[in-house]
Amino acid sequence: MDAWLRFRKNRLALIGLALVLLLVLTATLAPWLALHDPTRQSLIEKRARPGAKYLLGADEFGRDILSRVIYGSRVALLVGVVSVLIALAGGLVLGTAAGFTGGWLDTVVMRVVEILLAFPYLLLALAIVAMLGPGVLNTTLAVGIWGVPAVTRMVRGSVLALRETEYVGAARALGAPAPAVLRRHVLPNVLPGLVVYATLFMANAILLEAALSFLGLGVQPPTASWGLMVSTGRDVLLVAPHVATVPGLAIMVAVLGFNLVGDGLRDALDPRLTTTR
Amino acid sequence: MLTFVTRRLLLAVPVLLGVVFVVMLTIDLLPGDAVTLMLGEHATRDAVANLRAHLGLDKPFLVRYLDYVGQLLRGDLGRSFQQNRLVAAELSDAWPATIELTIAALLIAAVVGIVAGIASAVWPNSLFDGVARLFSLFGLSMPIFWTGLVFIVIFSLWLHWLPVGGTGSLTHLILPAVTLALPSVAMIARMTRSAVLDVLREDYVRTARAKGVGEVWVLGRHALRNAFIPILTLLGLQSGQLMGGAVLTETVFAWPGLGRLMVKAIFARDYVLLQGAVLVFALAFVVINLIVDLSYGLLDPRISRQG
Amino acid sequence: MRTSRLLAGLLLVLGLAALLVPSVDAQKRGGTLTIVRPTDPVSLDPNLETTAPGAWVYFNMLEGLLTLDEKMQIKPALATSYEVMSPTKVRFKLRSGVKFHDGTPFNAEAVKFTFDRALKGTPPARWASLAGSLSHAEVVDNLTVDVVTREPYGPILRTLAMYCMGIVSPTAVGKMGPDFSRAPVGTGPFKFVEWKTNTHVIIERNPDYWGDKALVDRVVFKVVPEEGARMIALQTGDADMVLFPSPAQLPALRKDAKFAVHETTGIRVVFAGLHAGMPPLDDVRVRQALLHAVDRKAILDNIMEGSAGPALGVLAPGVFGYKDMQLDRLYPFDRARAKALLAQAGFTPGPDGIMQKGGQRLSLSWLSQRGRYPKDGEITEAIQAMFKDVGVEAKVQFLEWGTVFPQLRGNPLNHHMFTLGWVTSNADADYSLYALFHSKQVPPTGWNTSRYANPRVDTLVEQARRSLNQTEREKLYGEVQDILAKEMVWIPVYTTKEIVGSRAGVKGFTMHPVEYNLALWKTWLDR
Repeated sequence: MDAWLRFRKNRLALIGLALVLLLVLTATLAPWLALHDPTRQSLIEKRARPGAKYLLGADEFGRDILSRVIYGSRVALLVGVVSVLIALAGGLVLGTAAGFTGGWLDTVVMRVVEILLAFPYLLLALAIVAMLGPGVLNTTLAVGIWGVPAVTRMVRGSVLALRETEYVGAARALGAPAPAVLRRHVLPNVLPGLVVYATLFMANAILLEAALSFLGLGVQPPTASWGLMVSTGRDVLLVAPHVATVPGLAIMVAVLGFNLVGDGLRDALDPRLTTTR
Repeated sequence: MLTFVTRRLLLAVPVLLGVVFVVMLTIDLLPGDAVTLMLGEHATRDAVANLRAHLGLDKPFLVRYLDYVGQLLRGDLGRSFQQNRLVAAELSDAWPATIELTIAALLIAAVVGIVAGIASAVWPNSLFDGVARLFSLFGLSMPIFWTGLVFIVIFSLWLHWLPVGGTGSLTHLILPAVTLALPSVAMIARMTRSAVLDVLREDYVRTARAKGVGEVWVLGRHALRNAFIPILTLLGLQSGQLMGGAVLTETVFAWPGLGRLMVKAIFARDYVLLQGAVLVFALAFVVINLIVDLSYGLLDPRISRQG
Repeated sequence: MRTSRLLAGLLLVLGLAALLVPSVDAQKRGGTLTIVRPTDPVSLDPNLETTAPGAWVYFNMLEGLLTLDEKMQIKPALATSYEVMSPTKVRFKLRSGVKFHDGTPFNAEAVKFTFDRALKGTPPARWASLAGSLSHAEVVDNLTVDVVTREPYGPILRTLAMYCMGIVSPTAVGKMGPDFSRAPVGTGPFKFVEWKTNTHVIIERNPDYWGDKALVDRVVFKVVPEEGARMIALQTGDADMVLFPSPAQLPALRKDAKFAVHETTGIRVVFAGLHAGMPPLDDVRVRQALLHAVDRKAILDNIMEGSAGPALGVLAPGVFGYKDMQLDRLYPFDRARAKALLAQAGFTPGPDGIMQKGGQRLSLSWLSQRGRYPKDGEITEAIQAMFKDVGVEAKVQFLEWGTVFPQLRGNPLNHHMFTLGWVTSNADADYSLYALFHSKQVPPTGWNTSRYANPRVDTLVEQARRSLNQTEREKLYGEVQDILAKEMVWIPVYTTKEIVGSRAGVKGFTMHPVEYNLALWKTWLDR
């Protein structure tokens, strides 16, 4: 396939793919990769500096940070990927409907989006906990919902602009049905930007999970999650910076991988590069 | 255009009423109420019941909602439960600080982000692009309290150039504004790069280049105008997020803004105060969205006024 | 000859004495003391605020009839003497020549006004709930007032010595209405200057104070929510004093000559509570096993890092009626003993290492919050891991305080364990032992969250509450604590230490065991 060939030639995209695969492998093979039990406490060794025993140091309970980062990749992957997919799905549907159809549907959808944007997110998160209970899946839902209004507006903006281009105008003048126009002309042009936004949103998602974990959504102790590790390392940042910094770097590496893949995908799928106009 | 603006401002009314309704309903759904939390562990059962009746919290939801709306129409935002202080006074204490921080952060994020994004698009996958990518992803992935505290250590503790926190002068604004702007810079830079790349590959751009028109002219005239639509949408969204999401920055830098006020109100279930703040935000979002939508029309005249 | 020898000897002795007597720093007057703390007050009026952020400030502006000194002894303040007239009435002679900050005179009318405003107002003051059986005050003459209780109330004097019993100026309240809560007027050594919400509160020296006047000119209470930023502010000099310093940085602070750490044992006990009504915790052997499973010293050393002291009982040492329950001796950290007790209770190790009995795993549900009490979340996690080592599984659910609190304050409680702290606000055992352990004080009536029920304890605390004979009360409370020691329904973890970090130039400051009593009038700045 053309797209795949183009992707393969992009060195940066391949590096990104490698990082993503590394993440997936780490998450899957965690029990075999971790050198220590991630929940084993050793209070005497609290905040141990990186060294022979604890390669990346120990946290405030003396637990091995490397092992917890390895296990934490599971939550990061789940929350980071699924919540982004939820936001994309919701936003695409709403944004396309609003931007393409226009009229009263657009008005109503945009007013609802305004209400959602103004609604304090913390309150939304607490409400989800109250109604559904804590847990990783519910956190993922909460984070995904956070992204929907933003994606909706991004998609709508692009759709509005594309609606008026010659291709779309011509296609409609020729009598093409709306869904086909959407599929063939509008969406392929909306997607590339959306893909890049999605990979950046992933960082937000994982950090949101951190804040929510602190409130009771998300993982419960002693399960590890990068976000929670970063949050609890806050108090000792000035005394033992590695406790918060190491998981933060893990987040960065994961986001980098997805971002490189995202950019590569975007270039590979860009219809402008395929047509021979 | 005037009818468009008027129509949108009128539509703001159901939005505001809707937001208040949803906020009040959600607070009711949450466990705990303002009185039990305020009076705390040492309160007697009678004290709790007494205060609840005094504040009107024992009335049914719809009654309280309609009472509040009635108050609003008379221009009265009510009194906060915790302090028995006028909500208007509480908000006016915090609002200027939030405006100051949001505008400063937005300016920094927009200018730095867009410039970096354009440069990254003009020289894609170059060293500059690579460094910019790494730097912005770092700013996006590290939590705000991390970057904030690191900045304080470097600029306050080691260099003694800037104060540790609080408000007062321009020097007080620099660190919190930069810290708050950092994640947005990343977003705006990467999205700008993507949007500009999109346009640079468009037919008419290729045509213009083929005709021999100068690079800068090409960029300025054709590319940016159309690239700007998604960038503008993003700016609108980011300004909203900067306003409402500044809690961490306000906490780290002791900045007395609305973010902290809202979080405290939520934890205390002080919905009168919360609603006052949310109304301010809702109005701000309506205005921001209106400006963005108007700009669509200005940038691309083919887009007729929508929504 | 003899006289000169005598003189010489005298001079020698005097000389030696002068060398041995430590030189006292000459106290310097003036300057501004800057204090950083995590939150802004809700209000500066005890009617609306009984928590620390407001109390720290108004404690320096308002005074009560009595006060508690650093040794937890009752001392006169605005009252000079008292006389017990009847089991429900105490007569106080008031200090003469005292003026409020607005110039109006302090007298018995003001006392009556303060109490009526608090106890009979709508709604009643926040501190009304802390005042027990206090009913009202009666004016006898201009400088004599009777304090009346609804029934005989043993803790009456300590209640009147509480931080929130400050007398307010009736004239000011009348003039300012609700604004009084933002700018209180009292008789104290400091008076109010300004309050910029969420930024700072400023108070200044009262030059007309009746007692020893303050040494600094001004005190600025700044709000710095982030712990790391507070510590940096102390290091850069932006702050002179830090309230709630970071435990992890205390050792470095103690060693550095540029800083000083002021501390004393407080009166709050933080504990892991056990629901004694919920099986298997209704079996005292299981509860005792849990106590043996916890290495309290490891928690104190590594999580609290010297910022808290050991919990030797359910009360703190400064509280009247305190008895050392010798918990370290009765329940030492001993995993073998824990397992043996569980075996006695019928539990055997299961295939996954968790104890079980009759096919049921020993799994406890634990409801906790983070950050309500210092390191409460960390303690919960540490104990969870310690339980696992003896085969007890604890499923911890961290939720936000607004969600946890209503559950703890409600009935029934569907969790085995909870993490709480309890401060004996009036430093009298009645305040804790009655509310926490009387069988009729189960939520929502009181705070017996553990659902502990022992008829003998009920009788003892009721008796002690009504008696005005302090020696008798002490004996009764001693017996209560002896019984509790055998039937523990708490795992006490630590007793707070009130700790403040300051720059070395802050002198004359002494920490008070009661966390709300932040006395600043003896503090001076050596700069």
